[in-house]
Amino acid sequence: MDFVDWMWMDYFVSMFIVGIGIALLATGSFTSYFGAGKSQQIGFILLSLGLVTLIVSYILSFDAVEFVEPIFNSDLFIEALVSGMSALAGMIIGMFVILFVLMKVDTVDDLEDLDLDDLEDLDLDEELKKLEEELNQADDNSENGEEK
Amino acid sequence: MEASLQEMAMAMGLTGAMLTMLGMGLLIAYYGSSKTRGVGFVFLLLGIGLAYFTVTNFDDVHFGNAFIAFIGGMLGGILGIVAFLVAIIKS
Repeated sequence: MDFVDWMWMDYFVSMFIVGIGIALLATGSFTSYFGAGKSQQIGFILLSLGLVTLIVSYILSFDAVEFVEPIFNSDLFIEALVSGMSALAGMIIGMFVILFVLMKVDTVDDLEDLDLDDLEDLDLDEELKKLEEELNQADDNSENGEEK
Repeated sequence: MEASLQEMAMAMGLTGAMLTMLGMGLLIAYYGSSKTRGVGFVFLLLGIGLAYFTVTNFDDVHFGNAFIAFIGGMLGGILGIVAFLVAIIKS
């Protein structure tokens, strides 16, 4: 691998700025929508900062404003954007594949491995009667307390 | 679509799937029950296979550039979230 051939400025830096912009935009939109008071104000600030960051990255990549010289190559910017989006799409697809396989595979351990002796010894009627007695005692205690 | 763009998209799609397979496979293999653990190891092997395929079948320069773009985007996203947390905590 020849690291000299890698174009850090056009690929890494441009996507770094876009990443900051998207994160600020997403967090800002959530905070401004669900937040209240001061946090909502912060949300609006973050939202506007994210928008500004994305617009700046657009201006620096595409010759959008006459007086500003673009510092990123527009074709390489598109390539970098496609790369990032492809990686995210690949991750999402991989996650779906994993979830699909996990749902199809029987993930519950065999019942033979469980110790069912405790359950067999349990008398449900008896347990229910004990619970009712405890509840009645609790009611009586609370009534006596109110009378005093 | 240009050949380089197509190659980058394919390489990074496979890389994304590979990262998910390796990450989730590791988690499932370590924390999974006796039945899911086997599935976790299968995912790990699949991830290693995808990594080998991606490294051997795509152009070094195209793949390297696409990968640093992805890393840059991820780091930028993390920095943006850190900025959000700092803004919320400091307020």
